[in-house]
Amino acid sequence: MSRSPGLVGAVTTTLDVTAEERVAAQIGRWLEAVFHAVAQTRADTAALLARVAEERRRPATVDLAGLRPGLHARLAREELVSGVGFVAVPGLLADVPAWLEWWQTNAEGDVRPLAPDLDPDRSAYSDYTHWDWFALPRDTGRRAVAGPYVDYLCSEEYSLTLSAPVRVAGRFAGVAAADVYLRHFEAAALPLLRELPGPAHLVNARGRVAASADPAHLAGSLTRGPDFAAVLEHGRVETFEGVRLVPCRGVPLVLVVPATTAGTVARATSAR
Amino acid sequence: MRKVVAVKQPTDGGARRAVFAPVDNRARVEAVVRRLGDAIELGLLADGEQLPGESELAGQLGVSTVTLREALMALRQQGLVTTRRGRGGGSFVSLPEIPGEERLRTRLRGWSTEELRDLGDHWAALSGTAALLAAQRTEPEDLIQLRCTAEELDLAADAAARSRVYGRFHVELAAAAQSARLTREQVALQTEVGALLCLLLGDDEYREEVAERHRSVISAVQDGAHESARTQGERCVRESTARLIALRLTL
Repeated sequence: MSRSPGLVGAVTTTLDVTAEERVAAQIGRWLEAVFHAVAQTRADTAALLARVAEERRRPATVDLAGLRPGLHARLAREELVSGVGFVAVPGLLADVPAWLEWWQTNAEGDVRPLAPDLDPDRSAYSDYTHWDWFALPRDTGRRAVAGPYVDYLCSEEYSLTLSAPVRVAGRFAGVAAADVYLRHFEAAALPLLRELPGPAHLVNARGRVAASADPAHLAGSLTRGPDFAAVLEHGRVETFEGVRLVPCRGVPLVLVVPATTAGTVARATSAR
Repeated sequence: MRKVVAVKQPTDGGARRAVFAPVDNRARVEAVVRRLGDAIELGLLADGEQLPGESELAGQLGVSTVTLREALMALRQQGLVTTRRGRGGGSFVSLPEIPGEERLRTRLRGWSTEELRDLGDHWAALSGTAALLAAQRTEPEDLIQLRCTAEELDLAADAAARSRVYGRFHVELAAAAQSARLTREQVALQTEVGALLCLLLGDDEYREEVAERHRSVISAVQDGAHESARTQGERCVRESTARLIALRLTL
């Protein structure tokens, strides 16, 4: 919200800029609320694991049951969140090789635990450590947004998963995470996108469309050309071959709108 | 004449009658036998594991208890289930002493060639379309997992492990297509075809052929060659189905 138009007189187009940035900011705030649920799960888990460590023993699945009241409350409170939990790094727990303390809201609105088969002798899907929602926080030490992607491990839904690393005494213990089904995300984002004058869509850092009011760019397709990761890194509005790229602050999504509806401002931006 | 035809009750049509005919009980029994039998073959239900009570299991599977009892009887005859009466009784998974290969052949004999052909058509439609869409919607980082799975097939030692990895490749391909529906369908299809594929994948030469086909699917997807990706995806699946049918005809 810190940028101001470079030229005086671009009053009408300044309104467009405000509208785009307002939409980007609103979407950022929604995902921040989901990240808040992730941060609470992360804090609960880290505290729980630290308590177990003080007792000089390894944690077990029975200890993680202590996370449940908080997880259930978050599922009930956060409208966008359909799944939430802690995913342990394999080898963390004393009684099982791998574990997801994961709870989901099903189609009937009931809260249910996920019980995937994690025995490598029986399941082809026992290794979950390659999924972006696990690997990104582990490898970068930072929170991450994975997707949109088809989640065939937990929900069989097209999803975004927001996650953050859990560390205990400096060691990576797993990730705290929350699922947002893409249809719910679209239901929230679409009214905002449609307020904008031109056809708008949202992409992730790799250009994958997460929500769209533009029939030429459907959710799940790739928008090729711009370096969206660079736009997110710079954190400011940029233009690329007739489109304006507006980063959603704090979250790795970029709002893509035609530059023509805000042509004067595009020129003003480049003139600065 | 024309008028007479026009007022003829449509309910007389054979196709319409078939719609409202009672669902074939035999088909339901066979479906339950196949589902539970495959789960036992794939190790999803372990040797000695107790199955839920009859009414609970029937409810979960969405069939009547009569249908379930017939299915359990068939499974007992195949030696995959034993039933103990009295206190602590119930139905238990029991893997018979005869070699796994022989049991799998028995399972394959439960499929007609027409059913296998139809299974192959469904599978080819799923994997071909998935490959085509993946070629349109995939960027290089999405292919890392598919590559790992293709390599894992080279390392998988026994037929069951190879079958699991084979199935996972096709599920991951559907996920790369960004389609939740195709992915769900592929997961469901693999629970049916997985046990049968064990019969083919014990052969190292065929395992290598499948791995090669998977690699060519990945190459076509990476090149964004939509139609070629579809063709490669279909060819891989059709070849497996053709082998299953050929094997079925020897039984």
